[in-house]
Amino acid sequence: MTIPQPSPLELRLSAFADVQTSDEERHDIEELLVNDPQARSLHDALKRGADLGRRAFDDMLKEPVPLDLVRTIKNAPLPRRAIRLPQAPRPTLSFKPSGLQAIAACALVFVLGGGIGYMIGGNGAAAQFSAFSMPGVSSRDWLDDIIAHYRLYARQTNHLAEIPAERPADILEWLTTNTGVGFRIPDLSDSGLTFEGARLFAAGGTPVGQLLYRRTDGDGDGDVIAISFTKIRPEGNRSIEEIRNDTSLVSWATPLATYMVVGPSSAADLDDIAAKAAGLI
Amino acid sequence: MTQPSPLTDIRRDLVALLPRLRRFALTLTGSAAEADDLVREAAGRAIQKSHHWKGEGRLESWLFSMIRSTFTDEAKKRRRAEGNAADDASSAENARQSNALACLPDGLASVFLLADVEGFAYAEAAAILGIQPDLFATRLCAARLSLAAIAAETNERRA
Repeated sequence: MTIPQPSPLELRLSAFADVQTSDEERHDIEELLVNDPQARSLHDALKRGADLGRRAFDDMLKEPVPLDLVRTIKNAPLPRRAIRLPQAPRPTLSFKPSGLQAIAACALVFVLGGGIGYMIGGNGAAAQFSAFSMPGVSSRDWLDDIIAHYRLYARQTNHLAEIPAERPADILEWLTTNTGVGFRIPDLSDSGLTFEGARLFAAGGTPVGQLLYRRTDGDGDGDVIAISFTKIRPEGNRSIEEIRNDTSLVSWATPLATYMVVGPSSAADLDDIAAKAAGLI
Repeated sequence: MTQPSPLTDIRRDLVALLPRLRRFALTLTGSAAEADDLVREAAGRAIQKSHHWKGEGRLESWLFSMIRSTFTDEAKKRRRAEGNAADDASSAENARQSNALACLPDGLASVFLLADVEGFAYAEAAAILGIQPDLFATRLCAARLSLAAIAAETNERRA
């Protein structure tokens, strides 16, 4: 059965019946219904048809509903819903590694430790640190300490020496005991030097004995000359002569000890003093 | 564990709306038996998808849409198994109800039902049937004209 195609007027009247028209269109149709008997007749026919259809559909509601259909719907299972059941409290984390895990962890720690150790060993700064902390590794640090102490005390007038020259026995005992180096107090009066006393300090991590002299005549009147000695150092078996800023330094070594004469860089006879001291000390 | 309360149980609403659902299904299938099968199938789907129904608008609109889509799906299945289509058509024709609505061309009864009986606006009714509102208006007019012709014919017989 084919669907009949309504005319434009029929479509307008049908929409008019359902209030599906604009106000202007509605006004036009109302005028048309007043003036056009054919349109009015068509409109009445549409209403009669609608009434017939409504009655027919209303009658359908009076028909009994099959009981099996009602029963099917009533007994239909509802969809399952996601249900969150009350859960037991979450167990606390327990650390129970298996044997394989323990071995793997040990291997990991070993590799990490080895790697860190390798990196530290290959680090220049660390090497410098170890040399600084271990005596005899770097003569440069040792020399720096010697010179630093000289500069510190050479300017002292009242506290130049720890033990004054008047107590030579104390000086010998104190410095020999602590440095492990046997020595004598050289008499350098020929070089215009007067013995002022002695000190004990640490340089490069080892104790150093220091004999202090003051020049009493000549050009550098009042200059302090220091003779330092310590136990033999691995790098200390060679003679050093050098000038650091205002300080001059001459060192020599014997099989048992390393010696050093420190004075102002203006002292031209420092090597002569060193030669004399080496024979007398 | 939250089971739906009796008030929110869609099965209860479905049973209450069952006569209207069957009526709409009948406009699609043309036979009471097929309409009942269609309603049974669509009601099962509606129950399973009841969580999609958010309570917005009319429940009938959602259910009518469900029935129409179920009918469309079933029609596609039938078309695939097209072997004995002629026999089915003849049997369906025999089962058609004998009232005025049976005389309407296919597709017009459901249009008329949604607009003039259920009171849906053109746009909503067109959406239920899956067609354009313009086509819905045309079909509705055609349905009214056909019913008007049946009414006139009936009056002439009585006269």
